[in-house]
Amino acid sequence: MSFREKNRHVGIVGIGETRFSSHREDVNQPEMIREAVKDALDDAGLTMDDIDCVVHGNMELFEMVHQPDLWHTLGTGARGKDAFRLTTGGTTGGTLVGAADNLVASGMYDTVLAIGFEKLQEGHTTGGITNMADPLWARKLQSGALTDSAAVKAIAEFGADRAKRVAMLYRIIMDKHACLNPNSHRAFGLDWDQMEDLMENSPPLIGDLRLIHMCSQSDGACAMILSCEKKAKQQCDHPVWIRDHITVHREETLNLCVNHYPNETTHRFAARHLYERNGITAPLDYFDVFEMYDPSAWWGADWIRDFFLLEGDEHYRLIEEKEIMGGGKMPINPSGGVLAANPIGATAMVRVAEAAKQVRGNAGPHQIPGTVNHAIASSFGGTMWTILMMLEKELNW
Amino acid sequence: MEEEMNVKVSDSLDTMADQELIVLRKTISVDQKFATGPVMGKFLTALKDKRILAIQCPECGRLQSPPREMCAICRVRNREWVEIGPRGEMRMMEYCYYSSPDPLTGESRETPYGAIGILLDGCQKEEVFWHLLRPEHLEMVEMGIVMGDRITRGSRLRPVWAEERSGSIDDIKYFEIDEQAR
Amino acid sequence: MKNSEESDSYIIHGKLALPYTYFAGRTGSTFLTTLRDHRTIMGVKCTTCNRVFVPPRQTCERCMADIRSQWVTVSNRGTVVNHTVIRYQDKHLPRKPPFVLAMILLKGADTPMAHILEGVNPDRVEKGMEVTAVFSPATTNTLLDIDHFEPVAEAP
Ligand SMILES: [Zn+2]
Ligand SMILES: [Zn+2]
Repeated sequence: MSFREKNRHVGIVGIGETRFSSHREDVNQPEMIREAVKDALDDAGLTMDDIDCVVHGNMELFEMVHQPDLWHTLGTGARGKDAFRLTTGGTTGGTLVGAADNLVASGMYDTVLAIGFEKLQEGHTTGGITNMADPLWARKLQSGALTDSAAVKAIAEFGADRAKRVAMLYRIIMDKHACLNPNSHRAFGLDWDQMEDLMENSPPLIGDLRLIHMCSQSDGACAMILSCEKKAKQQCDHPVWIRDHITVHREETLNLCVNHYPNETTHRFAARHLYERNGITAPLDYFDVFEMYDPSAWWGADWIRDFFLLEGDEHYRLIEEKEIMGGGKMPINPSGGVLAANPIGATAMVRVAEAAKQVRGNAGPHQIPGTVNHAIASSFGGTMWTILMMLEKELNW
Repeated sequence: MEEEMNVKVSDSLDTMADQELIVLRKTISVDQKFATGPVMGKFLTALKDKRILAIQCPECGRLQSPPREMCAICRVRNREWVEIGPRGEMRMMEYCYYSSPDPLTGESRETPYGAIGILLDGCQKEEVFWHLLRPEHLEMVEMGIVMGDRITRGSRLRPVWAEERSGSIDDIKYFEIDEQAR
Repeated sequence: MKNSEESDSYIIHGKLALPYTYFAGRTGSTFLTTLRDHRTIMGVKCTTCNRVFVPPRQTCERCMADIRSQWVTVSNRGTVVNHTVIRYQDKHLPRKPPFVLAMILLKGADTPMAHILEGVNPDRVEKGMEVTAVFSPATTNTLLDIDHFEPVAEAP
C-alpha cells in the first residue's frame, strides 16, 4: 500500500451539527443542511466568502431524490463555487472529510467546507440498502443494514452468556454517554439493572440482534471546515490537526454471510497500516479517545479488538471493566456514538467532528475528563469499508 | 418588480406554532433491465438445468458462486467452471423478524424468513452459497459453525427447484432439510 | 468447462420500488397551504439582493441570508420566459404527450417557476405570452394544486 506524505498540514477550523432527531418535518433537506453549515461558519468565525470549495454527500437511494447537490445549493452555499458530491455508503461522512483533507493538503484549495446529511425519515433505510445489492442475486436475499453475523461470531467464540452480556453492557454504556450529549436523538436513561430485561424482551430484528442493539434512524446534518496550516492559524486559535487518514475497501459482499472472515478485516488492516506508518506501537496507550462508527452494539463490542489490534478477549475485558467510559483506559464514543444518532450520510463525519471537539476540549456536557491530545475516529459502510482518521492537538509529530 | 402593490411582507406566517406541515408519501417505482454479462449469464442459465456452477480462481483455487469475473483477492481473471452441490450443509442464517420492502413492489415481505449461507458439496471454508430457507424449516435447522479449527456440522440441505425456470435466482424456490441425509 | 461466450449474456427485467416521504418544511408548507386554502401564490423576498423567490425558500442563494419571514404575495398571472414540449409518454409525467412545460415569471416574482401550460397549441407558445394560473378542484398538497397555466387571451 503506497503512502504519500501530505504537501501541507490540514487543520479543522469549524464544526457544525444540527440537532439529531427522528423527525424534522419543520425543514426540508437544504434548510436542514443550512443549519449545520451556519453552525460551522459561526464556529470558525468565517463566511461563505472564505470557502474555496464545497464537498457534499449522503447515501444514494435514502431519500429517493437524485443529484441533491444541485438543489441543495440553497443550504450548502455552493453557488458559484467549486463543488463535489461524494457518496460511499455509511462511510460517506468519513470520505467527505478525507476528500476535504486531500483537497487542502494537495494545495488545490486553502479552505474546504465538507457537508454530510441524511433525512432517514424521508426514505426507507433498509429498503434503500437492499436495493444497493447486486440486482441479480443479493437484492432478493439481503436484509438491508441488519445482520446477525457479528452476534453469531461472538457467541461461537465467547459463548452465548458472555457475548450477550458484553453486547448489552456496551449498549448501556453508550446510552449513558448519549444521556450526557444534548444532541442525542436517542438517550433512554438505561441502567445496569435493565440488562437481563433488555436481553430477554427487546424486540428481535434478526437472530440475536435486537432493536435495542441497533443504531437509530435519524435526520441531521454535519459540516466541517478544513484549512491549510497557514490559513488555519489565521482563522482559528486552536485548529485540530488531521495527522493522517486511511481508507480501506473490500467490495465482496458474500463473505459477510459466513461466520468467519477468510482474511484480516478491513478494520484491522486499516488500523495496522495507519499505526505502522505513523510509528504508533501501542495504540491503546497513544490515543486518548476513540469515536467509532458502531452500527450495532454487537459490532461495536467486536470491533474494538480490530481497531486497537487486540487479541483474544482483551476487548471484552475493556468493556466488562467499563474502561471505555469517560475516565477509563480508552473512552469510546463519549457522544453516545451511532446508537445515539445516525443520520447516515453525516454519521461518519459526526465521529470526526466529535473526536475533534474532544481534542478542543469544548465538546459540552459529554467532554471527557483530562486533556485529549490524540484522537481517532472510524467510519464504516457497505460490505466492509473502513476509514480511520487521526487527530492531533499539537503540530508536533 | 412590475406591480409593487401586489407585494406585501408579513412576518406572522412563519411563526405559527400549530402550522400544518406538509408531508408527501409516495412510492417510486422504476422498471429496470439488467444485462447478466457472460459470467453471471452462464451461471443463471445452468440453473434452468438444475445445475449450480461456481467459477474457480486460477491462483488461489477458491470457488465463487454466484460467480464473479475476477478473484478480487488475487486480482486475476477467473477461468475454470466447476459444478457444485446441489446439496450442502447449513452454515449461516439471518433469521429475519424484521420485514424489509420487496424490491419488486415496495411492499413489506412476509416474516419471519431465513436468508442462509449453504456450504454446497465441493466447496470449503467461506465458499458458501446464499439463498433462502424453506419457511417451515426455520425452527428445525442446525447452523454449522467454524471457529478456527473447531467445526460444528450444520443440517444437510437440498434445493427445491421451481417448476418453471427462466435463468434467475427464482429458479431455486428455497433450500430445505434433506431428509435423505437423516 | 471453459470460458463463457458472449452469447451467455442476456437481459433480466427488474424493478426498483421504494416507499419514501418528503417533508416540505415550514417554508414549503406555508407556500402549499396558502396555495391550497387561499389560491394565493407566495414568495419570499431577499431585501439585501432585492429579489423575490417563487417558490419560496429559507435562504437567499446569493447572499445566504435567512429570508424565511419575508413573505410576499405575487400575482397569479405572469409571462412565459421559456418552454419545452414533452413529446414522449411516461408514467411519471403529469400529462399525456404532447404537452407544454413552461418557465413562468409571475408578476411580483424575480424567479420563473416551471409549470404545465395548456389552452394553447404546443407549436404556438411564445416568449412573453401572458398566462394565468388555473387552480385544481381537488388538492394534492403539491404544486399541482395549480392544475396548469393558460393564456390570458386567446393565443394568436
Ligand atoms: Zn484467488
Ligand atoms: Zn440575498
